[in-house]
Amino acid sequence: MASTLSEESRDSLQIVLPGDLLPATESSFNEDSASAPIIKLGPGLQPLQDDTISAVKAGVLKHAEVGNRWWVESNQRRYVAAPGESVIGVVVGKTVEHYKVDIGAAQTALLGVLAFEGASKRNKPNHEIGTLLYCRISLANKDMEAELECMNPTTGKSDGYGDLKGGFVFKTSLGLARRLLDPKTLILRILGQHIPFETAVGMNGKVWINSANAKHTILICNAIKNSEFLSQEECVTMVKGLVDRL
Amino acid sequence: MREAEPSTNEREFVLAALKEGARIDGRKFYDFRTLRLSFGSDYGAVEVQLGNTRVLAKVSCEVIRPFPDKPTEGFLTFNTELSPMASSAFEVGRQTDEEVLVSRLIEKAMRRSRALDTEGLCIVAGEKVWSIRVDIHFLDHDGNLVDAACIAAITALLHFRRPDVTVVGEDVTIHTLEQRNPVPLSIHHIPICISFAFFDNGERVLVDPTYLEEQIKEGDMTLTLNVHKEVCAMSKAGGIPMELDQILQCTKIAVVKVTELTALIQEALEADAKKRQVSRK
Amino acid sequence: MSRVELLSPEGLRIDGRRPAELRKITSTTAVLSQADGSAYLEHGNTKVLAAVYGPREARHRALVLHDRAIINVEFNVAPFSTGERRRRTKNDKRLLEMASFVKQTFEPVVVTTLYARSQIDIYLQIIQHDGGTLQACINAATMALIDAGIAMTDYVCACTAGWVEREAAIDLNHIEESSDTSEVTVAMLPKSGKITLMQMESRLHVDKLEEVLSLAGEGCKQMHVVMDKTIRDRAEDLAAKMAV
Repeated sequence: MASTLSEESRDSLQIVLPGDLLPATESSFNEDSASAPIIKLGPGLQPLQDDTISAVKAGVLKHAEVGNRWWVESNQRRYVAAPGESVIGVVVGKTVEHYKVDIGAAQTALLGVLAFEGASKRNKPNHEIGTLLYCRISLANKDMEAELECMNPTTGKSDGYGDLKGGFVFKTSLGLARRLLDPKTLILRILGQHIPFETAVGMNGKVWINSANAKHTILICNAIKNSEFLSQEECVTMVKGLVDRL
Repeated sequence: MREAEPSTNEREFVLAALKEGARIDGRKFYDFRTLRLSFGSDYGAVEVQLGNTRVLAKVSCEVIRPFPDKPTEGFLTFNTELSPMASSAFEVGRQTDEEVLVSRLIEKAMRRSRALDTEGLCIVAGEKVWSIRVDIHFLDHDGNLVDAACIAAITALLHFRRPDVTVVGEDVTIHTLEQRNPVPLSIHHIPICISFAFFDNGERVLVDPTYLEEQIKEGDMTLTLNVHKEVCAMSKAGGIPMELDQILQCTKIAVVKVTELTALIQEALEADAKKRQVSRK
Repeated sequence: MSRVELLSPEGLRIDGRRPAELRKITSTTAVLSQADGSAYLEHGNTKVLAAVYGPREARHRALVLHDRAIINVEFNVAPFSTGERRRRTKNDKRLLEMASFVKQTFEPVVVTTLYARSQIDIYLQIIQHDGGTLQACINAATMALIDAGIAMTDYVCACTAGWVEREAAIDLNHIEESSDTSEVTVAMLPKSGKITLMQMESRLHVDKLEEVLSLAGEGCKQMHVVMDKTIRDRAEDLAAKMAV
């Protein structure tokens, strides 16, 4: 985790465990409502009956000034669908109206047959079982199966969503996937200096890599897996060592 | 629960990599993953780590009556547990095809090949014999359960010490561990299983497949040999048909691998024996 | 038990055969009225009956494959089949293993992609057991599948072989099996000569392996000739009757 924290948050690195109550300053919002700040709770925090806030996951407590958001940055391997997130899934079934896509959550998600760029009843893309798709979660709530779409909902363009051809996909923890999407994480950039490749990262912990030949792809996959707990300098050394051995 | 099938991309990539001569984890075709053996404080408890695959074996013994038609033979039983901890494809209580095949392979490799001398387990003919029981638990499934289990079982049997027994006429005394040092079992030979996976119409042969390679393979074969170049068991069931020459080629590879693995096992046993001697002083 | 002489000094085995000689084989197809295909096979004193039902609707919807048929094999050993009457439980690991072998042997040979979402059942009944049950079951199942008209790319012929005292021999009977000889069961596709099943349980030195395996291959080819003749005779019989 050390490689992605910037200087100011390193000073206030606060680890919380399930059951920890948040410090008094934050939970003093039960005073006069006019001046009470509205606190937005993200994943890992729950309000309790007596107006205190309790952590329900183990991790680092994070805070964003914009919108007064608080959440717990934790790591887990099993994905829970949340709307708006981009994920990589595998087609496991087809019906007349939907594809059943496995995104690693508790249930398979549904992808409408027409939820692709420029698709109409006459012109439908036909994906086989086993196809890898990069999609966006359009609907996710606890009562229904998640729903996906392979296009940007406002513009209708594919925007990089759709089926992924070739390459290799592997599973990581959710924390590593989130860090790969963060521009402050440098491992992808370091790898790109040595080997050209294209990549898609799903927030459900799946990472897709495609490069010129199989040996390079294998090297990139192993480098990303190794980088999870290494600092920035160690990453550079590790990548250099792998590339030299190629 | 049905296990998730690998995507088409993964299938094609593994085959493309094999055509270039590379495996996903960077090994060469005939390389085994790193083998780590750790012994428990009790005799006969071994944990084997073959890459990410983890298997635990524990040997225990008790004195029982022999069968009336085989009065001088002891018993050797194997009990394999494919617990759901190892993989989401396993379920408690239900015997899957894979569980049957794995446990039968271990029995064939160890029992039918007479690795353990069952006649040496006799205490009093017709009345008291030792019954040795090996419990094998699979903790983590990343491919090649059979080889890992076989190594765990034979190492546990080599590591195990049973209580010493003196028979004077009708009197049988089983000495406790404090009275007399426990005695090792008499093991005739060390059978080791080597599993192969076939790809690309039988052209590519891999040793020690990982879970992903096992899901994609076209066919497989397990050969059990010992260092004396004797084949103790062979099992190829279905999958892509192979020529006789290819099978004989695999036996040559297996001979080399068995020598390597047997040396590793004996090194680990000697290292553990030294540790125990030092701690006893 | 006194030591039985398995190979006489003249080179004759305990039942008078030469080492590379098969036992007397009789076979008939279409012996059952309800099954889609059936066959009865005798390897000397080993008698096996095979029945094939399919392709028909799969029993468990969850196991259905979307692009091919599943093959289900069940074994039944009659209590009177061995020397002593012995009841075998359905879940005996040995029987489950043999059923799994037969299933895996036929999966690459039967053209399962023609019958998506269905199930092909093969039921095997061992009536008398005198060595070589797995080979007899595979041969009987092949003939039953052909009788049922299920598409297959080739015959599957099986034969056992082993090292009896000083020579390699094929088609071992029960006495030869139960003494300490090594025995290997090989199933082969006769057209290509490739091996689809190979099972061995006892110790055999690597140097002797090649001889034993190639002798088993020869035995399979002999089996193929016998099975082929039975099927062709029946087919010609039917063709003659239909061409009236």
